[in-house]
Amino acid sequence: MDKRMKHRTASIAAYLLFFAVIFALPLFLNSFWTNRVATYLVYSICAVGISMSWGYAGILSLGQGLFFGIGAYMLAMSLTLAVPENNPVPELMLLNMQPDAVRDLCCVTSGSFLWIPFRSLAVGMIAAVVVPCVLAAGLGYVMFKRRTTGVYVSIITLAFALIGQLLIINNQPLTGGFNGLADLALLNIGGFDFDPYGPSVYYLVACTLLAVVLAARCLLSARIGQVLKAIREDEARARYLGYDVENYKLFIFCFSAGVAGLAGMLFTVSAEFASPSLMATAFSISMVIWAATGGRASLLGACIGALIVNFVGSVASENATFQPVWPIILGGLFVFVVLVMPNGIAGIVKDWIDRSDRRSAAGKEVYP
Amino acid sequence: METFVIGLSIASILFMVALGLAIIYGTMKVINLAHGEMVMIGAYVTVLATKHLGFNLYLCLPLAFLVTAGFGLVIERTVVRRLYGRLLDTLLATWGIALILQQLIRIHFGLGLFGIHIDGLGSDLQNVPVPAELQKTLYFLGANIPVYRAFIFMVALLLGAITWWLIYKTRFGSQLRAVSVARNTAAACGVNDKRVNMLAFAYGSGLAGIAGVLVSGFKTVSPDMGTPYVVDAFLVVVAGGVGHLVGTFISAGILGEVQSFVATWLNDVYGRTVLFAVVILILLFKPQGLFVSRSR
Repeated sequence: MDKRMKHRTASIAAYLLFFAVIFALPLFLNSFWTNRVATYLVYSICAVGISMSWGYAGILSLGQGLFFGIGAYMLAMSLTLAVPENNPVPELMLLNMQPDAVRDLCCVTSGSFLWIPFRSLAVGMIAAVVVPCVLAAGLGYVMFKRRTTGVYVSIITLAFALIGQLLIINNQPLTGGFNGLADLALLNIGGFDFDPYGPSVYYLVACTLLAVVLAARCLLSARIGQVLKAIREDEARARYLGYDVENYKLFIFCFSAGVAGLAGMLFTVSAEFASPSLMATAFSISMVIWAATGGRASLLGACIGALIVNFVGSVASENATFQPVWPIILGGLFVFVVLVMPNGIAGIVKDWIDRSDRRSAAGKEVYP
Repeated sequence: METFVIGLSIASILFMVALGLAIIYGTMKVINLAHGEMVMIGAYVTVLATKHLGFNLYLCLPLAFLVTAGFGLVIERTVVRRLYGRLLDTLLATWGIALILQQLIRIHFGLGLFGIHIDGLGSDLQNVPVPAELQKTLYFLGANIPVYRAFIFMVALLLGAITWWLIYKTRFGSQLRAVSVARNTAAACGVNDKRVNMLAFAYGSGLAGIAGVLVSGFKTVSPDMGTPYVVDAFLVVVAGGVGHLVGTFISAGILGEVQSFVATWLNDVYGRTVLFAVVILILLFKPQGLFVSRSR
């Protein structure tokens, strides 16, 4: 078996094993942990998006949190309106309206008409993916057409997310401000309630993760995946070879934003709130570190990285002794991953397979 | 006029932070996201020194410079020097360092775990006493100008001048410029480029520390105060053109004033939104920044 085949078999086996474990887990978990792990899987979806744009195309977006947060808000708006008491006007707007304003969504506070389409759940769900994509397309168009590359993209997306967060906090009557949107209805599709603490939400998230990973694999094994890698390695050369570098980058940037929006939407379903903290710089950068820990150029690695870092993080922050030290460990992890294992867990596993390959080969024949 | 002076002081702080960032980025192509934490540490040095050592604000300036330069030196020696040439990785690693530094302040450098609390550290907000002569306002050109804001501007000008002298008139400066233009050639000509890196990193961090002292005079001090500065300062560097001292100076001026005027006119949030929009516009029309250094 040549090396390539061996990698392929190993990676398929790893995918199968991972998803088998994921789908079997709820059988062994109580409702609290089912909900927890469902949320971690949401983070995994996000990490897949990052791995695609960063690991494969070399675009490090530090604004993924904004797209994630917008996805969360879009569905949260629909789920807010799905609560009977919030009709015709959500409570947060009643608290902020002028005394003589008409109690209708059209004009109770300035801008409240923006909520009108969200009376429909379908609009909320579609907007959760489409709005981040459109925003990313606008920003990406500006950045990539001007040939902004590398670290400038990171800084601009970082600043973009920061502004988004400030605007959300600042427009209290429209967005719930610092507190965000809580007290949401359960997601109800066709009369079926998705219970965040039951297996229904868990499997919703797990199936979405599977679908996203499959879609990403198909995309990356197609021609576009090869072109993206070429762009990552040498942008100028890819351009000279006649590829429209900007459009490829724009596409993957939007795709990754859409995935983040989708993850944000599922976050609202499983965590039952949306708040500006989802758009914080710190959160955007931690997403990147999940992907880096697992292996930036490996979709599965990114999933596993997100699971591990969040699992350890939440266990540590519940322990009174570890709680104050956890951010230090997390910071140390950033430094450690970057210095010692730049290809993450996936890289280590790959090296290990290669090495065992060489060892078993050495027994049979002697290489020159 | 008041708005203009406030804008000038915002610009001055931005300039000091951005100058350090520009030197670090220009010389060794490292994105230092822990740079904001140097501002924070500078502010905490002021808090601690005024509380425990009885220092006044003036004495804190050189002290904070030394302390933050020391921190910068340690960061460069331990982490950053292993990452030269891996731009995005420096960004992640220095963010990790930033997290560690913030948390160290929150838990009293770890002593908090053993129940020892140092007055002035921890996650609460802190305030710094400002000398009486800086609290006055000055009547100038028909407007009341807070002396403190003018003082910030003076310090920034002075630091700008010192940095200009250091970069263009000293032996270290010519080595620094040589390394940032052509590292290998400079090293081949006998410049100790590792030493230049180290000193540049420390000097840049020190500048941020001084900015931290000045910030502590008009804002409350908290462990996470540094993050907005590093983002804004980076926008300044990008808009001004990398590796261009005058560019950084002018873009800090423009962005500081824009932010100040919009903030008084609408509010703080829109101030920052417009600031960001201006940077995007600048980058749209001048992708290299306002000033392009003509070096190859």
